Amino acid sequence: MLNKEAYGVSIKDEIEARLERDVSMGAMHASLIRLEDKGYIKSSNGEATEERAGRPRRYFEITALGKKAIAYSKSTRDQLWNAIPKVVLEIISNG
Amino acid sequence: MIENPPKFFLRFFRWYCHPKLVDHIEGDLIEVYRQRMKKSGRRKADVKFIIDVLLLFRPSIVKPIEGYRNLNHYGMLKSYFKIGWRNILRHKVYSFINIGGLTIGMAVALLIGLWSNDELSIDSFHKNSDRLYTVYETILSDGRLDASFSTPGLLAQELKLSIPDVQYACSYWMKSQSTFGVADKVFKMDGASAGEDFFKIFSFTLLQGTLENALTDPNSIAISRKMAESFFGNADGAIGKSIRYENSRDLMVSAVFEDIPENSSLKFEFLTTWKLRIEEVDWLKDWINRSPYTLIQLQPHSDPVQVEAKIKDFIRPYLGGKYGDGNHLELGLLPFNEMYLHATFSNGKPSGGRIEYVWLFGAVAVFTLLIACINFMNLSTAGSIKRSREIGVRKVVGAVRSALTGQFLIEAILLAFLAMLISLTLVALFLPSFNSLTEKQIILPISNIKFWMICIGLLLVTGLIAGSYPSFYLSSLNSIKVLKGPQKFSSRAAWFRKGLVVFQFALSIIMMSGALTISRQTKYLQTKSLGYDRENLIYLPFQGDLARKYQVFKQEVSQLPGVQAVTRATQRPSDIGSHVYDLDWDGKDPNVHVVSIHGAVDYDYFKMMKLQLAQGRIFSKEMDTPSPDDRTGEVVVINETLLKIIGYKDPIGRTINSFGTKQRIVGVVKDFHLRSLHEPIEPLILYFMNWQRWGNILIKTESGKTQEALAGIEKVFKQLEPKFLFSYGFVDEEYQKLYESEKIVAKLADSFTILAIFISCLGLFGLSMFTAEQRTKEIGIRKTLGASIAHILSMLSVDFVSLILLAIILAMPLAYFIMQNWLSAYAYHVDIEWLSFAIPTAIIIVIALLTISFQLAKAALANPVSSLKSD
Repeated sequence: MLNKEAYGVSIKDEIEARLERDVSMGAMHASLIRLEDKGYIKSSNGEATEERAGRPRRYFEITALGKKAIAYSKSTRDQLWNAIPKVVLEIISNG
Repeated sequence: MIENPPKFFLRFFRWYCHPKLVDHIEGDLIEVYRQRMKKSGRRKADVKFIIDVLLLFRPSIVKPIEGYRNLNHYGMLKSYFKIGWRNILRHKVYSFINIGGLTIGMAVALLIGLWSNDELSIDSFHKNSDRLYTVYETILSDGRLDASFSTPGLLAQELKLSIPDVQYACSYWMKSQSTFGVADKVFKMDGASAGEDFFKIFSFTLLQGTLENALTDPNSIAISRKMAESFFGNADGAIGKSIRYENSRDLMVSAVFEDIPENSSLKFEFLTTWKLRIEEVDWLKDWINRSPYTLIQLQPHSDPVQVEAKIKDFIRPYLGGKYGDGNHLELGLLPFNEMYLHATFSNGKPSGGRIEYVWLFGAVAVFTLLIACINFMNLSTAGSIKRSREIGVRKVVGAVRSALTGQFLIEAILLAFLAMLISLTLVALFLPSFNSLTEKQIILPISNIKFWMICIGLLLVTGLIAGSYPSFYLSSLNSIKVLKGPQKFSSRAAWFRKGLVVFQFALSIIMMSGALTISRQTKYLQTKSLGYDRENLIYLPFQGDLARKYQVFKQEVSQLPGVQAVTRATQRPSDIGSHVYDLDWDGKDPNVHVVSIHGAVDYDYFKMMKLQLAQGRIFSKEMDTPSPDDRTGEVVVINETLLKIIGYKDPIGRTINSFGTKQRIVGVVKDFHLRSLHEPIEPLILYFMNWQRWGNILIKTESGKTQEALAGIEKVFKQLEPKFLFSYGFVDEEYQKLYESEKIVAKLADSFTILAIFISCLGLFGLSMFTAEQRTKEIGIRKTLGASIAHILSMLSVDFVSLILLAIILAMPLAYFIMQNWLSAYAYHVDIEWLSFAIPTAIIIVIALLTISFQLAKAALANPVSSLKSD
């Protein structure tokens, strides 16, 4: 995944490529602002380039708090996943 | 460039987007747009761009409506208040002087504001106020143009009939106290009579009765709520009831009106009809005699200037050539709501009156506040040395000049705010005593938004004036110099401060010598010898049949212990005010008009009043016959002023013509003052008549036995007129009443002056304290080098004293001019003497020296060791 290269357009492209769905600019920026407000990510201004008509990029980076939060989120989900009896899943896949 | 997205939407995005985000999101948008254009062409990219822009329009991205930079200013403002507050607490004495001075200044301004507002509000509550006018008459007498509100009793009615611009008109004339009775309740009431239109013109609320019928029937009477309640228990039941009037006729209550508000200049408990008044006083039916007010309401679109031009010569035809051609009489209009404040005439035009006091005290309020503001300016620029470090640091850290200016202004406003809070409390506290001093009923208009707006305005203006110079001065300090260490003031700043002190004390001196002159003049008015003896003189208005029973009354009262003499006269000695307009004599220049005052007296009047005779003799019981009815009789006594106008060489036995008949002059009295000392002595004719209806009995008592005599007189009165209430007055008190407003003004001027001087001295105290602090080192060095305490004291005080001396020199001519102007309103006044300046000067110097010497002595006495060891 993106590392140190995460800015608006690249994030959007990444999500669209990996999850195969469209992301609107508004939804994405709103989420980014929210995450930054909560302190999960931090941002810094990057270079201005010709393709962006001289506008700077804004790079986003995960913070320690963000890492903790995402780890917590993963572990809770894993727990839940593990708690699902195998049988249930088999029935579903068979059905 | 073709590669750019739709301009309109890009601009829209820029407009709504939060400024912090706009750059990089716009970058993202453009980058994606270009990718899309390469992939799928311009049109699709455009559409998707538009959708993106619209979807970006959400709360977290749109900029806040109130702007996003507020937070910074708020923080700074908060810090200003905090620092300001800490400064107040840190320099307690300076803060006390500043807040104390501003508090007193504001309290004075507020009190005077309330008072002037009350004065200005008088008569302004009438609904048609802008169309209400009072008719006044100018009279050319002996080459002098005089004017008064006294008009003939028929004028109102005639004006309404002949001038279409006049919508309503009525006469109005005060009555002396009248006696009313219902069953066995008897009261005396003050009232007036007025024409039918009265309630249509003026917005006095009718509780009962109609505008049409309130004053139509001669036998009807309109009474106030208070009067209705005292006779009938309540206002509702009074209408239609009958009430006994002067024990002579029954009047029916046709209307009950709400008690007359405080801010009305017309004050009455009852109104009888004009028809009744004309029946009672028959001379109201002619055009020669005048006394009532004529009040009119113009049609909605009438131009008062045109109406005034139309009525200018209105009276002339009615005189019918019988009493002179009337060339000397003209009518004019004065807006009714100005009548109270502009009641003085000069040269026949309304020219002042109480409005002058409003201006005078307005100026006092401004001066006092200004003095307090100057204290603040002086102390805070002087104290700036203490804060110069702070200013330097602030500047270095990046404060711009405007921010510093703002800071000091905010501090000044903060102080002004505290002062306003305290002064409002003070005003609320002292309002009752202020009311009793000024004889008003002012209440603090707490529920009035306008009042609070004015308070806030006053606060801001005071804060801004007081803070203006300090803030501009302090913010201009050079940060490098300031940080290097304490610096000397530039000479310009020092001069400015000295100038302010001079200005402040000049104002104080002007106020003080003004107050001194006012109280001297007031005392002069009260004690001046008037040419007659007004001590222990009681007057009793004729009531009921007393006039006819006068001889009996006189005989019985004369024998009472404590009574020296009894006589009668039409008017009280302090207020002889009826005019004769048709005066004629042998060899009179037909173009000259002379209007003379007249009255009628009994033969023993002169002796009792101790009037001095210049020529001839007084009336005599044996030689002269008093005229039997209310006619002028055959003989007159005139005063010297009239004799001078007439010009007879040998006046005794010559005749004059007045009221259409001929009289013989038997004597000439020396001039005595007939009315208030505002006016010069006017020509006077005294008739000898045996009149029956109105007037006063005058009784002279032995001093110290007045109460005893009064008890006896009351007994005699009760025997003769059991249905009437005994009432009397003292001539001396009546005379004092003429100068009521002077007395109030003198008292007010005294108290405000004391406050102004107090504030000035507060400022001086602060400055001297500051100087002493500033020069501790210098004093220490001087002392170690051998300077004596006396030497140091004189060195320190010479600065202040020279300022005050300069102030005195500047103030004197101005004070002289102002006082001269004020005194010129009196025909008889004290002269401005050097004492009027010497006393304030001496007092101010003494007070100022006392104020500064305390601080300076402390500095001079201090041990030089303690002041020098710190370096």
